[in-house]
Amino acid sequence: MDILEKIPSRREVIESFKSTGGKIAAVYPYHYHRALFRAFDILPVEVWGPPGIDTTYGSSYLQPYVCSVVHSGLSFYLSGGLDVVDFIVVPHACDSLQGLGSVYIDFVKPKQPVFTIYIPRGRKDLDVEFLSKEFESIFNRLKELTGKSVTEDKLMEEILKEEEALKKVRELYSKREQISLSDYHFYRVVRSREYLPAEKFMEIADHLLENFSDGTEREGVPVIFSGLLPEPMEILEKLEEIDGRIVADDFACCGRRLYGEGKSNNPFVRMAESILNSPPDSSRGATVDERVEHLSSLVKKYGARGVVFYIVKFCEMELFYIPHMMRGLKERGIPSVYIEVDINDPLPDQTITRLEAFVEVL
Amino acid sequence: MKLIDTIKYRLTVDVAGRAFLRYERFLNARRLKNARFKSENLAPPLRISAWTKELISLHYFRGRYVEGHQPVAYVTSGGPVEILKALGYYVIYPENHAALAGARHAQMELIQSAEEFGFSQDICSYVRTDLGTALTGKTPVGKLPKPDLLLACTNICQTVLHWYRVLQKIFNVPLVVIDTPFVYTEAPPHAVEYVKKQLENELIPVAERVAGRTLKEKKFKEVVKYSKDATELWLEILNMGRHIPTPISIFDQFIHMAPIVEMRGDKVTVDFYYAMLKEVKERVKKGIGSVKNEKKRVLWDNLPVWYKLSRLAAELADRGVSMPISTYTYAWGELAPLIDIERGMESMARVYLYPILNRGTGHKLEVMRQMVKDFKLDGVILHSDRSCKPYSIGQVPQRNKLMEEFGIPALLLEADHNDERAFSEEQVASRIASFLEMMEVA
Repeated sequence: MDILEKIPSRREVIESFKSTGGKIAAVYPYHYHRALFRAFDILPVEVWGPPGIDTTYGSSYLQPYVCSVVHSGLSFYLSGGLDVVDFIVVPHACDSLQGLGSVYIDFVKPKQPVFTIYIPRGRKDLDVEFLSKEFESIFNRLKELTGKSVTEDKLMEEILKEEEALKKVRELYSKREQISLSDYHFYRVVRSREYLPAEKFMEIADHLLENFSDGTEREGVPVIFSGLLPEPMEILEKLEEIDGRIVADDFACCGRRLYGEGKSNNPFVRMAESILNSPPDSSRGATVDERVEHLSSLVKKYGARGVVFYIVKFCEMELFYIPHMMRGLKERGIPSVYIEVDINDPLPDQTITRLEAFVEVL
Repeated sequence: MKLIDTIKYRLTVDVAGRAFLRYERFLNARRLKNARFKSENLAPPLRISAWTKELISLHYFRGRYVEGHQPVAYVTSGGPVEILKALGYYVIYPENHAALAGARHAQMELIQSAEEFGFSQDICSYVRTDLGTALTGKTPVGKLPKPDLLLACTNICQTVLHWYRVLQKIFNVPLVVIDTPFVYTEAPPHAVEYVKKQLENELIPVAERVAGRTLKEKKFKEVVKYSKDATELWLEILNMGRHIPTPISIFDQFIHMAPIVEMRGDKVTVDFYYAMLKEVKERVKKGIGSVKNEKKRVLWDNLPVWYKLSRLAAELADRGVSMPISTYTYAWGELAPLIDIERGMESMARVYLYPILNRGTGHKLEVMRQMVKDFKLDGVILHSDRSCKPYSIGQVPQRNKLMEEFGIPALLLEADHNDERAFSEEQVASRIASFLEMMEVA
């Protein structure tokens, strides 16, 4: 059976969740804690674009030099794509998402309540303290809005459930080489966590681990991808066609969210500890050295032969790191290539040619 | 700090440099008496310009000899500089340096160097200008000292966070990040507490260690007082633009804002703005406008287009259009009431949380609405600055609201504050012409 048949679509999940009385929160990229919403029977469904939609709607609020993820995200709302959701959540990851949150609150003024979450850029106790209070204030607002008296015990229960789901994602990554699935299929599974309830995701992940781990080694030149997201997802099929394969990633939607577990018994602190214990990434202002070290360790651990920086055009936070990271990797004998994409455009031939040339050299 | 460097600094800067620059100021002041701008319709530059030039020249001249004499910090323009000033730091603002390079048309070579190193054309042009200097050592001011400390405050953009990470990589010195959560509507108490604790527990200890000194409360309060006084004076100067005709334009403001950004916390800055206010008041008294025969008054939103300042000023003046105020220059004055010397770090935390760039798009619209009313404006130019997303996002609906509510024309002008390649001469000329037509001054 094709694993994709096991994965319900976003629409199916939303309809099914709402039919049981649950509510939906549309969540923009990219750091937040799912348990905070699940405790109120709200399912977070992430909005990464979506790619390939008509962005002219967004142009009535945003300039053309704002990245396609944000442009599409707003256009999707304005074209009615988010009519079904009950809440809108905009975490603060960059100037463009900051602007999006602000434009939502001040000008778009959607019928749904808008939540913003400021994610601190540090990892110290002070940062954990701030983020825990940020989560607590959202929790209190959700209490008011939903009228539900959710206890901290209930919240902790949801946190533990999400931690289990996260463990499952880790297991998928660690056993990636034994899972006989194309990258396209694998990322469809991993990215289904962007909208599936933890329990459903774990069911699919278990099915995958039981039925698709036949011990056959994957073939192709092993590479690591770094960037926001693998869109258009056609890139993964193209990579396979040119004999490449992804062995690990530093994608904002995937690898950068392999959070560590929190330790505190206070649910807000525990969520904050977890989110801030993520791999080093651009949105949180990691140092260049931390990011080089992280990518190098992934290369070593998974036997990759090179790194592909797959960057969404106008994504300033990613662009800043490229020159020094490419040099840093080169000094460690790791080749890398930089490719720029717009998630709304079809994959250009030039991109495929560059990727092909890179994989051939490796 | 080394004694030999201090002696060298004292002799070169305090004795020879100051004397030379004072003499040059005297000559410039004489020249200014008969000065004319490019356009016959622009008022001559303010007499204070000679002092501005002296201050800026001295500032960068000090930078050439300061290493070994004083600790050096690179700071973002919205950074809590008072703490560093009280600890005796010499402070460089890479954004100001980049702006200065842009105004002198020296930025493109630096931008090119940064791009050759691999920095994308899609990152802020201030950054590319500054990194061009950091990577090559080239600068229109002769030489920039190497920093001992980097201080990035995210209250103007997230760009500075990444920019300073790159500087940290290049200079290998400590970086303190003051993370100021974006204020969508009001800053919650935990955000104020968060910033306050960062100032107390992170910035002060690191800055003290690097400087080898302890922060003295008396000195700190003195610096904060100078900062507050200068900020209040700057605000008062800007508010003089409410007079008709406006005695100063945004072009004057862009030139004379350097001290409020670069020399905030110094006594000389207070003296300077006191003198500037006096001169502007004189203009009001004499009925001298920044533009001869002022017909229309226009608001400028966002950063200036540094490399086209004088041309834009002349073109608009020739049509009797003055620009009395901008949201950008106002940003360095509007926080004056929040500075409370007695409330120490909590007051600082609020001040550094609330700059216009750290507040929502609705707040900026409100600021512009108020300006349209208070400064009796007939139109708005919103510079859609490719290099500054936090300032530019929101301009499309802001423009629409202003046009709808006040029935005035509002132009969204696509350009870039420092990268000349993003400035299309023809397109800008035709858009400005249409805008002026709408104001009936074409």
